[in-house]
Amino acid sequence: MLKYLLRRALSLPFVLLSVTFLTFIVGYLAPGDPIQAMMGNRRDPAIYQQLRREYGLDRPWHEQYLNYVAGLLRGDLGRSYRFAGRPVADLIRQGVPVSAALGGAALAVSVVIGVPIGILAAARANRAFDRISMTVMLTVFAVPGFVIAGVLQTAQVILFQNGLPHLPTSGWGAPEHWVMPVVVLSAATLGYLARLTRSTMIQVLRQDYIRAAVAKGATRSQILLKHALRNALIPIVTVLGPSIAFIVVGSFVVESVFRVPGIGFVAVQAIGSRDYPVIQSVTLMLALVVVFMNLLTDLAYTALDPRVRI
Amino acid sequence: MLRLLARSRAGLFSLIVLAAIVVLAVIGPVVYPVDPAAQDLSSLRQFPSWQHPLGADDLGRDTLARLMSGLRVSLGVALVVEAFVVAFGGGLGLLAGYYGGWIDALVSRLADMLFAFPGLLLAILISSVFGAAASDWAGGMGRLLLVSLSLALVGWPLMARYTRGQTLSLKQRPFIETARALGASDWRILTRHIAPNLADLVIVATTLDVAGVIVSEATLGLLGLSAQPPQTSLGKMIVEAFGYITLNYTQVLFPSLMLAALVLALSFAGDALQERMERR
Repeated sequence: MLKYLLRRALSLPFVLLSVTFLTFIVGYLAPGDPIQAMMGNRRDPAIYQQLRREYGLDRPWHEQYLNYVAGLLRGDLGRSYRFAGRPVADLIRQGVPVSAALGGAALAVSVVIGVPIGILAAARANRAFDRISMTVMLTVFAVPGFVIAGVLQTAQVILFQNGLPHLPTSGWGAPEHWVMPVVVLSAATLGYLARLTRSTMIQVLRQDYIRAAVAKGATRSQILLKHALRNALIPIVTVLGPSIAFIVVGSFVVESVFRVPGIGFVAVQAIGSRDYPVIQSVTLMLALVVVFMNLLTDLAYTALDPRVRI
Repeated sequence: MLRLLARSRAGLFSLIVLAAIVVLAVIGPVVYPVDPAAQDLSSLRQFPSWQHPLGADDLGRDTLARLMSGLRVSLGVALVVEAFVVAFGGGLGLLAGYYGGWIDALVSRLADMLFAFPGLLLAILISSVFGAAASDWAGGMGRLLLVSLSLALVGWPLMARYTRGQTLSLKQRPFIETARALGASDWRILTRHIAPNLADLVIVATTLDVAGVIVSEATLGLLGLSAQPPQTSLGKMIVEAFGYITLNYTQVLFPSLMLAALVLALSFAGDALQERMERR
Protein backbone atom coordinates (compact mmCIF):
# COMPACT_ATOMS: atom_id res chain seq x y z
CA MET A 1 0.00 0.00 0.00
CA LEU A 2 2.66 2.47 1.06
CA LYS A 3 4.78 1.44 -1.91
CA TYR A 4 1.87 2.02 -4.27
CA LEU A 5 1.12 5.44 -2.82
CA LEU A 6 4.79 6.30 -3.13
CA ARG A 7 4.90 5.19 -6.75
CA ARG A 8 1.72 7.08 -7.52
CA ALA A 9 3.12 10.18 -5.83
CA LEU A 10 6.32 9.85 -7.87
CA SER A 11 4.39 9.70 -11.14
CA LEU A 12 2.65 12.97 -10.30
CA PRO A 13 5.67 15.20 -11.02
CA PHE A 14 6.05 13.56 -14.45
CA VAL A 15 2.40 14.22 -15.25
CA LEU A 16 2.57 17.80 -14.00
CA LEU A 17 5.77 18.33 -15.97
CA SER A 18 4.11 16.98 -19.15
CA VAL A 19 1.05 19.14 -18.77
CA THR A 20 2.91 22.36 -18.01
CA PHE A 21 5.55 21.64 -20.66
CA LEU A 22 2.93 21.07 -23.37
CA THR A 23 1.11 24.31 -22.55
CA PHE A 24 4.42 26.17 -22.31
CA ILE A 25 5.74 24.90 -25.63
CA VAL A 26 2.53 25.84 -27.48
CA GLY A 27 2.76 29.35 -26.07
CA TYR A 28 6.49 29.51 -26.81
CA LEU A 29 6.02 28.50 -30.43
CA ALA A 30 2.97 30.75 -30.84
CA PRO A 31 3.25 33.02 -33.86
CA GLY A 32 3.32 36.77 -33.26
CA ASP A 33 5.34 38.81 -30.82
CA PRO A 34 3.67 39.33 -27.43
CA ILE A 35 5.79 42.41 -26.65
CA GLN A 36 4.84 44.01 -29.96
CA ALA A 37 1.21 43.23 -29.19
CA MET A 38 1.55 44.83 -25.78
CA MET A 39 3.19 47.98 -27.17
CA GLY A 40 0.56 48.46 -29.84
CA ASN A 41 1.53 51.24 -32.21
CA ARG A 42 4.43 52.59 -30.21
CA ARG A 43 7.76 51.55 -31.69
CA ASP A 44 10.66 52.34 -29.41
CA PRO A 45 13.49 49.78 -29.70
CA ALA A 46 14.87 50.67 -26.28
CA ILE A 47 11.57 50.10 -24.51
CA TYR A 48 11.03 46.98 -26.61
CA GLN A 49 14.35 45.51 -25.44
CA GLN A 50 13.62 46.49 -21.87
CA LEU A 51 10.20 44.83 -21.89
CA ARG A 52 11.68 41.72 -23.47
CA ARG A 53 14.21 41.55 -20.65
CA GLU A 54 11.57 42.26 -18.02
CA TYR A 55 9.37 39.43 -19.24
CA GLY A 56 12.38 37.15 -19.62
CA LEU A 57 11.74 36.59 -23.31
CA ASP A 58 15.42 37.12 -24.19
CA ARG A 59 16.35 33.96 -22.27
CA PRO A 60 16.83 30.49 -23.80
CA TRP A 61 13.68 28.35 -23.86
CA HIS A 62 14.53 26.10 -20.91
CA GLU A 63 15.06 29.12 -18.66
CA GLN A 64 11.76 30.55 -19.88
CA TYR A 65 10.09 27.26 -19.02
CA LEU A 66 11.52 27.32 -15.49
CA ASN A 67 10.34 30.90 -15.09
CA TYR A 68 6.91 29.86 -16.32
CA VAL A 69 6.67 27.05 -13.77
CA ALA A 70 8.02 29.30 -11.01
CA GLY A 71 5.33 31.83 -11.95
CA LEU A 72 2.65 29.14 -11.80
CA LEU A 73 3.78 28.13 -8.33
CA ARG A 74 3.30 31.71 -7.21
CA GLY A 75 -0.15 31.76 -8.81
CA ASP A 76 1.06 34.04 -11.60
CA LEU A 77 -0.63 32.94 -14.82
CA GLY A 78 0.73 35.76 -16.97
CA ARG A 79 -1.07 38.80 -18.29
CA SER A 80 -3.95 39.13 -20.69
CA TYR A 81 -3.25 40.73 -24.08
CA ARG A 82 -6.76 41.97 -24.49
CA PHE A 83 -7.43 43.61 -21.14
CA ALA A 84 -4.36 45.87 -21.05
CA GLY A 85 -2.12 43.56 -19.10
CA ARG A 86 -4.66 42.49 -16.49
CA PRO A 87 -3.44 39.39 -14.67
CA VAL A 88 -4.97 36.27 -16.21
CA ALA A 89 -5.55 34.87 -12.73
CA ASP A 90 -7.99 37.75 -12.04
CA LEU A 91 -9.96 37.05 -15.19
CA ILE A 92 -10.25 33.37 -14.44
CA ARG A 93 -10.94 33.70 -10.73
CA GLN A 94 -14.44 35.14 -11.27
CA GLY A 95 -15.42 32.15 -13.37
CA VAL A 96 -14.14 29.41 -11.09
CA PRO A 97 -17.03 29.24 -8.59
CA VAL A 98 -19.63 29.18 -11.38
CA SER A 99 -17.85 26.46 -13.34
CA ALA A 100 -17.14 24.39 -10.24
CA ALA A 101 -20.76 24.55 -9.08
CA LEU A 102 -22.06 23.68 -12.54
CA GLY A 103 -19.59 20.81 -12.96
CA GLY A 104 -20.30 19.49 -9.48
CA ALA A 105 -24.04 19.56 -10.07
CA ALA A 106 -23.60 17.75 -13.40
CA LEU A 107 -21.43 15.07 -11.82
CA ALA A 108 -23.92 14.57 -8.98
CA VAL A 109 -26.84 14.29 -11.41
CA SER A 110 -25.05 11.76 -13.59
CA VAL A 111 -24.16 9.55 -10.62
CA VAL A 112 -27.56 9.79 -8.95
CA ILE A 113 -29.41 8.91 -12.17
CA GLY A 114 -26.85 6.88 -14.10
CA VAL A 115 -25.98 4.31 -11.45
CA PRO A 116 -29.60 3.30 -10.63
CA ILE A 117 -30.41 2.98 -14.34
CA GLY A 118 -27.40 0.70 -14.72
CA ILE A 119 -28.51 -1.42 -11.74
CA LEU A 120 -32.06 -1.77 -13.04
CA ALA A 121 -30.81 -2.66 -16.53
CA ALA A 122 -28.49 -5.31 -15.10
CA ALA A 123 -31.31 -6.76 -13.00
CA ARG A 124 -33.40 -7.08 -16.16
CA ALA A 125 -30.54 -8.01 -18.50
CA ASN A 126 -31.54 -8.53 -22.14
CA ARG A 127 -35.16 -7.66 -21.51
CA ALA A 128 -37.03 -4.65 -22.87
CA PHE A 129 -36.03 -2.18 -20.14
CA ASP A 130 -32.37 -3.13 -20.51
CA ARG A 131 -32.30 -2.83 -24.28
CA ILE A 132 -34.21 0.44 -24.47
CA SER A 133 -32.41 2.18 -21.63
CA MET A 134 -28.99 1.07 -22.89
CA THR A 135 -29.72 2.33 -26.41
CA VAL A 136 -30.77 5.67 -24.92
CA MET A 137 -27.65 5.73 -22.75
CA LEU A 138 -25.37 5.00 -25.71
CA THR A 139 -27.12 7.82 -27.55
CA VAL A 140 -26.65 10.43 -24.83
CA PHE A 141 -23.06 9.28 -24.41
CA ALA A 142 -22.16 9.41 -28.11
CA VAL A 143 -24.07 12.48 -29.24
CA PRO A 144 -22.17 15.66 -28.37
CA GLY A 145 -23.63 17.95 -25.71
CA PHE A 146 -24.35 20.80 -28.09
CA VAL A 147 -26.53 18.54 -30.25
CA ILE A 148 -28.53 17.56 -27.17
CA ALA A 149 -28.65 21.27 -26.34
CA GLY A 150 -29.92 22.02 -29.86
CA VAL A 151 -32.71 19.45 -29.63
CA LEU A 152 -33.73 20.56 -26.12
CA GLN A 153 -33.64 24.24 -27.07
CA THR A 154 -35.85 23.52 -30.06
CA ALA A 155 -38.31 21.81 -27.75
CA GLN A 156 -38.30 24.86 -25.44
CA VAL A 157 -38.97 27.21 -28.34
CA ILE A 158 -41.87 25.08 -29.54
CA LEU A 159 -43.28 24.96 -26.00
CA PHE A 160 -42.89 28.72 -25.74
CA GLN A 161 -44.61 29.36 -29.05
CA ASN A 162 -47.57 27.29 -27.96
CA GLY A 163 -47.85 29.13 -24.66
CA LEU A 164 -46.78 26.12 -22.61
CA PRO A 165 -44.42 26.23 -19.63
CA HIS A 166 -40.79 26.22 -20.79
CA LEU A 167 -37.24 26.84 -19.61
CA PRO A 168 -35.13 29.86 -20.56
CA THR A 169 -32.82 29.19 -23.54
CA SER A 170 -29.93 31.22 -22.15
CA GLY A 171 -28.89 33.50 -19.31
CA TRP A 172 -27.64 33.10 -15.78
CA GLY A 173 -28.86 34.00 -12.31
CA ALA A 174 -32.21 32.41 -11.56
CA PRO A 175 -32.45 28.74 -10.48
CA GLU A 176 -34.24 27.74 -13.70
CA HIS A 177 -31.14 28.79 -15.64
CA TRP A 178 -29.34 25.80 -14.14
CA VAL A 179 -31.59 23.11 -15.56
CA MET A 180 -30.54 23.01 -19.21
CA PRO A 181 -26.77 23.43 -18.70
CA VAL A 182 -26.74 20.73 -16.01
CA VAL A 183 -28.79 18.34 -18.14
CA VAL A 184 -26.55 18.85 -21.17
CA LEU A 185 -23.32 18.73 -19.20
CA SER A 186 -24.26 15.55 -17.35
CA ALA A 187 -25.53 13.70 -20.45
CA ALA A 188 -22.26 12.12 -21.58
CA THR A 189 -21.17 11.08 -18.08
CA LEU A 190 -24.65 9.81 -17.32
CA GLY A 191 -24.62 7.53 -20.37
CA TYR A 192 -21.11 6.34 -19.63
CA LEU A 193 -21.82 5.58 -15.96
CA ALA A 194 -25.10 3.79 -16.69
CA ARG A 195 -23.44 1.51 -19.25
CA LEU A 196 -20.47 0.82 -17.02
CA THR A 197 -22.70 0.10 -14.00
CA ARG A 198 -24.72 -2.34 -16.04
CA SER A 199 -21.73 -4.28 -17.33
CA THR A 200 -19.96 -4.51 -13.97
CA MET A 201 -23.19 -5.46 -12.18
CA ILE A 202 -23.76 -8.24 -14.69
CA GLN A 203 -20.26 -9.56 -14.08
CA VAL A 204 -20.68 -9.42 -10.33
CA LEU A 205 -24.12 -11.08 -10.45
CA ARG A 206 -22.55 -14.11 -12.14
CA GLN A 207 -20.23 -14.83 -9.23
CA ASP A 208 -20.55 -17.68 -6.79
CA TYR A 209 -21.13 -15.59 -3.70
CA ILE A 210 -24.27 -14.18 -5.30
CA ARG A 211 -25.53 -17.71 -5.92
CA ALA A 212 -24.81 -18.44 -2.28
CA ALA A 213 -26.85 -15.40 -1.27
CA VAL A 214 -29.75 -16.57 -3.46
CA ALA A 215 -29.51 -20.04 -1.90
CA LYS A 216 -29.65 -18.71 1.63
CA GLY A 217 -32.88 -16.95 0.66
CA ALA A 218 -31.86 -13.29 0.45
CA THR A 219 -34.42 -11.11 -1.29
CA ARG A 220 -33.78 -9.73 -4.74
CA SER A 221 -33.28 -6.15 -3.61
CA GLN A 222 -30.96 -7.31 -0.82
CA ILE A 223 -28.83 -9.17 -3.34
CA LEU A 224 -28.74 -6.27 -5.77
CA LEU A 225 -28.12 -3.45 -3.36
CA LYS A 226 -26.24 -5.12 -0.53
CA HIS A 227 -24.22 -7.87 -2.11
CA ALA A 228 -23.68 -6.95 -5.73
CA LEU A 229 -23.60 -3.16 -5.72
CA ARG A 230 -20.79 -2.93 -3.18
CA ASN A 231 -18.41 -4.77 -5.45
CA ALA A 232 -19.72 -3.17 -8.60
CA LEU A 233 -19.09 0.28 -7.13
CA ILE A 234 -15.32 -0.16 -7.24
CA PRO A 235 -14.87 0.13 -11.02
CA ILE A 236 -17.53 2.87 -11.05
CA VAL A 237 -15.54 4.96 -8.59
CA THR A 238 -12.40 4.55 -10.67
CA VAL A 239 -13.99 6.14 -13.73
CA LEU A 240 -15.21 9.18 -11.82
CA GLY A 241 -11.81 10.80 -12.40
CA PRO A 242 -11.88 10.36 -16.18
CA SER A 243 -15.55 11.43 -16.13
CA ILE A 244 -14.43 14.78 -14.80
CA ALA A 245 -12.54 15.16 -18.07
CA PHE A 246 -15.80 14.88 -20.03
CA ILE A 247 -17.43 17.49 -17.83
CA VAL A 248 -14.44 19.81 -17.93
CA VAL A 249 -14.22 19.75 -21.72
CA GLY A 250 -17.98 19.92 -21.96
CA SER A 251 -18.03 23.10 -19.88
CA PHE A 252 -16.38 24.98 -22.76
CA VAL A 253 -19.26 24.15 -25.03
CA VAL A 254 -22.10 24.35 -22.53
CA GLU A 255 -20.97 27.65 -21.07
CA SER A 256 -20.65 29.23 -24.49
CA VAL A 257 -23.97 27.87 -25.77
CA PHE A 258 -25.95 28.89 -22.67
CA ARG A 259 -23.88 31.99 -21.90
CA VAL A 260 -22.94 30.84 -18.42
CA PRO A 261 -20.21 33.14 -17.03
CA GLY A 262 -17.72 30.41 -16.03
CA ILE A 263 -14.10 29.87 -17.03
CA GLY A 264 -15.11 28.02 -20.21
CA PHE A 265 -16.94 31.17 -21.32
CA VAL A 266 -13.88 33.30 -20.50
CA ALA A 267 -11.79 30.94 -22.65
CA VAL A 268 -14.22 31.04 -25.56
CA GLN A 269 -14.14 34.85 -25.54
CA ALA A 270 -10.35 34.71 -25.36
CA ILE A 271 -10.30 32.41 -28.41
CA GLY A 272 -12.36 34.97 -30.30
CA SER A 273 -9.92 37.78 -29.50
CA ARG A 274 -6.74 35.66 -29.74
CA ASP A 275 -5.88 36.33 -26.13
CA TYR A 276 -3.37 33.44 -25.96
CA PRO A 277 -2.27 33.74 -22.31
CA VAL A 278 -5.88 33.33 -21.18
CA ILE A 279 -6.51 30.30 -23.41
CA GLN A 280 -3.22 28.80 -22.29
CA SER A 281 -4.01 29.24 -18.60
CA VAL A 282 -7.56 27.95 -18.82
CA THR A 283 -6.51 24.77 -20.64
CA LEU A 284 -3.68 24.28 -18.16
CA MET A 285 -5.96 24.76 -15.17
CA LEU A 286 -8.59 22.39 -16.51
CA ALA A 287 -5.92 19.81 -17.33
CA LEU A 288 -4.64 20.08 -13.76
CA VAL A 289 -8.15 19.56 -12.41
CA VAL A 290 -8.38 16.36 -14.43
CA VAL A 291 -4.94 15.20 -13.26
CA PHE A 292 -5.78 15.71 -9.59
CA MET A 293 -9.20 14.10 -9.89
CA ASN A 294 -7.51 11.07 -11.46
CA LEU A 295 -5.11 10.91 -8.54
CA LEU A 296 -7.95 11.22 -6.03
CA THR A 297 -9.96 8.42 -7.61
CA ASP A 298 -6.90 6.18 -7.69
CA LEU A 299 -6.47 6.75 -3.98
CA ALA A 300 -10.18 6.20 -3.34
CA TYR A 301 -9.89 2.93 -5.24
CA THR A 302 -7.25 1.57 -2.92
CA ALA A 303 -9.18 2.75 0.11
CA LEU A 304 -12.47 1.23 -1.08
CA ASP A 305 -11.36 -2.24 -2.07
CA PRO A 306 -9.93 -4.22 0.83
CA ARG A 307 -8.41 -6.68 -1.66
CA VAL A 308 -6.21 -4.03 -3.24
CA ARG A 309 -2.92 -4.30 -1.41
CA ILE A 310 -0.48 -3.06 -3.93
CA MET B 1 -15.20 -6.94 -42.42
CA LEU B 2 -18.26 -5.23 -43.87
CA ARG B 3 -19.99 -8.60 -44.11
CA LEU B 4 -19.23 -9.23 -40.46
CA LEU B 5 -20.80 -5.91 -39.59
CA ALA B 6 -23.85 -6.48 -41.76
CA ARG B 7 -24.65 -9.65 -39.84
CA SER B 8 -26.08 -7.81 -36.84
CA ARG B 9 -29.19 -5.71 -37.15
CA ALA B 10 -27.73 -2.60 -35.53
CA GLY B 11 -24.58 -3.02 -37.63
CA LEU B 12 -26.50 -3.28 -40.90
CA PHE B 13 -28.69 -0.30 -40.06
CA SER B 14 -25.75 1.91 -39.14
CA LEU B 15 -23.93 0.82 -42.29
CA ILE B 16 -26.87 1.97 -44.41
CA VAL B 17 -27.06 5.32 -42.59
CA LEU B 18 -23.32 5.83 -43.02
CA ALA B 19 -23.47 5.02 -46.72
CA ALA B 20 -26.35 7.49 -47.18
CA ILE B 21 -24.42 10.25 -45.39
CA VAL B 22 -21.27 9.64 -47.44
CA VAL B 23 -23.30 9.71 -50.66
CA LEU B 24 -24.95 12.96 -49.56
CA ALA B 25 -21.59 14.56 -48.84
CA VAL B 26 -19.79 13.32 -51.95
CA ILE B 27 -22.45 13.22 -54.67
CA GLY B 28 -24.87 15.71 -53.08
CA PRO B 29 -23.17 18.88 -54.37
CA VAL B 30 -23.23 17.46 -57.94
CA VAL B 31 -26.96 16.78 -57.83
CA TYR B 32 -27.75 19.95 -55.88
CA PRO B 33 -25.23 22.50 -57.20
CA VAL B 34 -26.07 25.44 -54.92
CA ASP B 35 -23.23 27.60 -53.62
CA PRO B 36 -23.16 27.17 -49.81
CA ALA B 37 -21.77 30.70 -49.44
CA ALA B 38 -24.24 32.49 -51.73
CA GLN B 39 -26.53 34.87 -49.84
CA ASP B 40 -30.17 35.16 -50.80
CA LEU B 41 -31.31 38.25 -48.93
CA SER B 42 -34.96 37.63 -49.73
CA SER B 43 -35.03 34.45 -47.66
CA LEU B 44 -33.25 35.25 -44.40
CA ARG B 45 -33.93 32.62 -41.69
CA GLN B 46 -36.45 30.92 -43.95
CA PHE B 47 -38.22 27.75 -42.90
CA PRO B 48 -37.94 24.80 -45.36
CA SER B 49 -39.48 25.69 -48.72
CA TRP B 50 -39.33 24.61 -52.39
CA GLN B 51 -36.61 27.16 -52.99
CA HIS B 52 -34.53 26.11 -49.96
CA PRO B 53 -35.41 22.50 -49.04
CA LEU B 54 -33.95 22.84 -45.53
CA GLY B 55 -34.48 26.59 -45.19
CA ALA B 56 -31.84 29.30 -45.02
CA ASP B 57 -29.69 30.81 -42.25
CA ASP B 58 -29.56 34.37 -40.91
CA LEU B 59 -27.44 35.47 -43.90
CA GLY B 60 -29.78 33.82 -46.39
CA ARG B 61 -27.40 30.96 -47.19
CA ASP B 62 -28.97 27.68 -48.29
CA THR B 63 -28.94 25.21 -45.40
CA LEU B 64 -28.93 22.02 -47.48
CA ALA B 65 -25.88 23.20 -49.41
CA ARG B 66 -24.16 24.27 -46.19
CA LEU B 67 -25.00 20.97 -44.55
CA MET B 68 -23.33 19.08 -47.39
CA SER B 69 -20.31 21.38 -47.25
CA GLY B 70 -20.07 20.88 -43.47
CA LEU B 71 -20.34 17.11 -43.89
CA ARG B 72 -17.47 17.13 -46.37
CA VAL B 73 -15.35 18.97 -43.81
CA SER B 74 -16.33 16.50 -41.06
CA LEU B 75 -15.62 13.43 -43.15
CA GLY B 76 -12.48 14.88 -44.73
CA VAL B 77 -10.99 15.82 -41.37
CA ALA B 78 -11.91 12.42 -39.92
CA LEU B 79 -10.24 10.66 -42.87
CA VAL B 80 -7.01 12.65 -42.56
CA VAL B 81 -6.91 12.23 -38.77
CA GLU B 82 -7.40 8.48 -38.93
CA ALA B 83 -4.84 8.12 -41.72
CA PHE B 84 -2.28 9.86 -39.48
CA VAL B 85 -3.32 7.95 -36.40
CA VAL B 86 -3.09 4.56 -38.12
CA ALA B 87 0.15 5.30 -39.98
CA PHE B 88 1.94 7.20 -37.22
CA GLY B 89 0.43 5.79 -34.02
CA GLY B 90 0.00 2.27 -35.36
CA GLY B 91 3.47 2.31 -36.91
CA LEU B 92 5.20 3.64 -33.79
CA GLY B 93 3.38 1.11 -31.61
CA LEU B 94 4.50 -1.66 -33.95
CA LEU B 95 8.14 -0.56 -33.85
CA ALA B 96 8.06 0.00 -30.08
CA GLY B 97 6.57 -3.42 -29.43
CA TYR B 98 8.89 -5.23 -31.82
CA TYR B 99 12.25 -3.62 -31.04
CA GLY B 100 11.70 -2.68 -27.40
CA GLY B 101 14.70 -0.87 -25.90
CA TRP B 102 15.12 2.86 -26.40
CA ILE B 103 12.51 3.07 -29.19
CA ASP B 104 9.93 1.61 -26.85
CA ALA B 105 11.01 3.90 -24.01
CA LEU B 106 10.81 6.97 -26.23
CA VAL B 107 7.43 6.14 -27.77
CA SER B 108 5.91 5.15 -24.44
CA ARG B 109 7.11 8.28 -22.63
CA LEU B 110 5.87 10.48 -25.46
CA ALA B 111 2.51 8.73 -25.37
CA ASP B 112 2.31 9.01 -21.56
CA MET B 113 3.01 12.71 -21.83
CA LEU B 114 0.13 13.24 -24.25
CA PHE B 115 -2.17 10.96 -22.25
CA ALA B 116 -1.72 13.23 -19.25
CA PHE B 117 -3.43 16.09 -21.08
CA PRO B 118 -7.16 15.84 -21.79
CA GLY B 119 -7.04 15.43 -25.58
CA LEU B 120 -9.60 17.93 -26.78
CA LEU B 121 -8.21 20.67 -24.52
CA LEU B 122 -4.81 20.35 -26.16
CA ALA B 123 -6.40 20.36 -29.61
CA ILE B 124 -8.32 23.54 -28.67
CA LEU B 125 -5.13 25.19 -27.43
CA ILE B 126 -3.13 24.25 -30.53
CA SER B 127 -5.73 25.16 -33.09
CA SER B 128 -6.49 28.50 -31.43
CA VAL B 129 -2.85 29.54 -31.07
CA PHE B 130 -1.75 28.49 -34.57
CA GLY B 131 -5.07 29.02 -36.36
CA ALA B 132 -4.36 32.43 -37.85
CA ALA B 133 -0.90 31.35 -39.00
CA ALA B 134 -2.31 28.25 -40.70
CA SER B 135 -4.92 30.36 -42.50
CA ASP B 136 -2.23 32.79 -43.69
CA TRP B 137 -0.09 29.90 -44.87
CA ALA B 138 -2.59 27.92 -46.91
CA GLY B 139 -6.05 29.47 -46.52
CA GLY B 140 -9.01 27.28 -45.64
CA MET B 141 -7.09 24.09 -46.36
CA GLY B 142 -4.31 25.13 -43.99
CA ARG B 143 -6.85 25.63 -41.25
CA LEU B 144 -8.40 22.21 -41.78
CA LEU B 145 -4.96 20.61 -41.92
CA LEU B 146 -4.09 22.23 -38.59
CA VAL B 147 -7.32 20.94 -37.05
CA SER B 148 -6.58 17.46 -38.41
CA LEU B 149 -3.00 17.50 -37.16
CA SER B 150 -3.98 18.70 -33.70
CA LEU B 151 -6.58 15.94 -33.42
CA ALA B 152 -4.12 13.37 -34.78
CA LEU B 153 -1.54 14.54 -32.24
CA VAL B 154 -3.86 13.76 -29.35
CA GLY B 155 -5.23 10.61 -31.02
CA TRP B 156 -2.13 8.59 -31.94
CA PRO B 157 -1.01 7.52 -28.44
CA LEU B 158 -4.04 5.30 -27.92
CA MET B 159 -3.51 3.53 -31.25
CA ALA B 160 0.20 3.13 -30.48
CA ARG B 161 -0.66 1.57 -27.13
CA TYR B 162 -2.99 -0.94 -28.83
CA THR B 163 -0.58 -2.02 -31.58
CA ARG B 164 2.36 -2.10 -29.17
CA GLY B 165 0.53 -4.47 -26.84
CA GLN B 166 -0.59 -6.74 -29.66
CA THR B 167 2.89 -6.77 -31.22
CA LEU B 168 4.45 -7.69 -27.88
CA SER B 169 2.26 -10.78 -27.66
CA LEU B 170 2.55 -11.67 -31.37
CA LYS B 171 6.31 -11.60 -31.37
CA GLN B 172 6.42 -14.43 -28.80
CA ARG B 173 4.40 -16.73 -31.05
CA PRO B 174 6.05 -19.71 -32.78
CA PHE B 175 5.28 -18.57 -36.32
CA ILE B 176 7.44 -15.49 -35.86
CA GLU B 177 10.26 -17.64 -34.56
CA THR B 178 9.84 -19.93 -37.56
CA ALA B 179 9.99 -16.98 -39.93
CA ARG B 180 13.17 -15.78 -38.28
CA ALA B 181 14.69 -19.25 -38.40
CA LEU B 182 13.97 -19.31 -42.12
CA GLY B 183 16.06 -16.16 -42.44
CA ALA B 184 13.33 -13.52 -42.80
CA SER B 185 14.56 -9.97 -42.21
CA ASP B 186 13.07 -7.73 -39.50
CA TRP B 187 11.36 -5.68 -42.20
CA ARG B 188 9.78 -8.77 -43.71
CA ILE B 189 8.61 -10.06 -40.34
CA LEU B 190 7.11 -6.67 -39.48
CA THR B 191 5.30 -6.11 -42.77
CA ARG B 192 4.36 -9.65 -43.77
CA HIS B 193 3.83 -11.43 -40.49
CA ILE B 194 2.95 -8.96 -37.74
CA ALA B 195 1.20 -6.09 -39.52
CA PRO B 196 -1.52 -8.28 -41.13
CA ASN B 197 -2.32 -9.67 -37.70
CA LEU B 198 -2.88 -6.16 -36.37
CA ALA B 199 -5.44 -5.31 -39.04
CA ASP B 200 -8.55 -6.42 -37.12
CA LEU B 201 -7.54 -4.55 -34.00
CA VAL B 202 -6.71 -1.40 -35.97
CA ILE B 203 -10.01 -1.47 -37.86
CA VAL B 204 -12.11 -1.81 -34.68
CA ALA B 205 -10.09 0.84 -32.86
CA THR B 206 -10.43 3.21 -35.81
CA THR B 207 -14.18 2.73 -36.10
CA LEU B 208 -14.60 3.42 -32.41
CA ASP B 209 -12.31 6.45 -32.59
CA VAL B 210 -13.80 8.09 -35.65
CA ALA B 211 -17.03 9.15 -33.93
CA GLY B 212 -14.95 10.95 -31.32
CA VAL B 213 -12.93 12.71 -34.01
CA ILE B 214 -16.08 13.95 -35.72
CA VAL B 215 -17.43 15.28 -32.43
CA SER B 216 -14.09 16.93 -31.71
CA GLU B 217 -14.03 18.62 -35.10
CA ALA B 218 -17.58 19.85 -34.56
CA THR B 219 -16.60 21.15 -31.10
CA LEU B 220 -13.63 23.00 -32.57
CA GLY B 221 -15.97 24.33 -35.25
CA LEU B 222 -18.41 25.49 -32.59
CA LEU B 223 -15.60 27.42 -30.91
CA GLY B 224 -14.80 28.98 -34.30
CA LEU B 225 -11.53 27.07 -34.65
CA SER B 226 -12.30 24.72 -37.53
CA ALA B 227 -13.41 25.61 -41.08
CA GLN B 228 -13.58 29.34 -41.86
CA PRO B 229 -16.00 30.99 -44.32
CA PRO B 230 -16.90 30.23 -47.10
CA GLN B 231 -16.49 26.68 -45.79
CA THR B 232 -18.43 25.66 -42.73
CA SER B 233 -18.46 23.06 -40.01
CA LEU B 234 -21.53 21.35 -38.55
CA GLY B 235 -20.58 22.67 -35.10
CA LYS B 236 -20.37 26.21 -36.39
CA MET B 237 -23.76 25.94 -38.13
CA ILE B 238 -25.33 24.83 -34.86
CA VAL B 239 -23.82 27.58 -32.72
CA GLU B 240 -24.64 30.28 -35.28
CA ALA B 241 -28.24 29.14 -35.43
CA PHE B 242 -28.51 29.28 -31.62
CA GLY B 243 -28.44 33.07 -32.01
CA TYR B 244 -31.85 33.17 -33.67
CA ILE B 245 -33.42 29.97 -32.36
CA THR B 246 -36.57 31.75 -31.20
CA LEU B 247 -37.16 32.97 -34.77
CA ASN B 248 -36.39 29.71 -36.59
CA TYR B 249 -35.56 26.57 -34.66
CA THR B 250 -35.19 24.38 -37.76
CA GLN B 251 -31.75 25.85 -38.42
CA VAL B 252 -30.46 24.46 -35.10
CA LEU B 253 -32.31 21.22 -35.52
CA PHE B 254 -31.13 20.11 -39.00
CA PRO B 255 -27.35 20.23 -38.43
CA SER B 256 -27.87 18.80 -34.92
CA LEU B 257 -29.80 15.83 -36.27
CA MET B 258 -27.28 15.28 -39.07
CA LEU B 259 -24.39 15.25 -36.63
CA ALA B 260 -26.31 12.96 -34.27
CA ALA B 261 -27.08 10.52 -37.10
CA LEU B 262 -23.45 10.43 -38.22
CA VAL B 263 -22.02 9.96 -34.73
CA LEU B 264 -24.62 7.40 -33.66
CA ALA B 265 -24.18 5.33 -36.83
CA LEU B 266 -20.43 5.25 -36.22
CA SER B 267 -20.83 4.39 -32.52
CA PHE B 268 -23.28 1.59 -33.17
CA ALA B 269 -21.15 0.25 -36.03
CA GLY B 270 -18.07 0.29 -33.77
CA ASP B 271 -19.98 -1.43 -30.96
CA ALA B 272 -21.42 -4.09 -33.26
CA LEU B 273 -18.05 -4.71 -34.89
CA GLN B 274 -16.31 -5.09 -31.55
CA GLU B 275 -18.94 -7.49 -30.30
CA ARG B 276 -18.68 -9.64 -33.45
CA MET B 277 -14.89 -9.68 -33.28
CA GLU B 278 -14.92 -10.77 -29.65
CA ARG B 279 -17.34 -13.56 -30.41
CA ARG B 280 -15.20 -14.89 -33.26
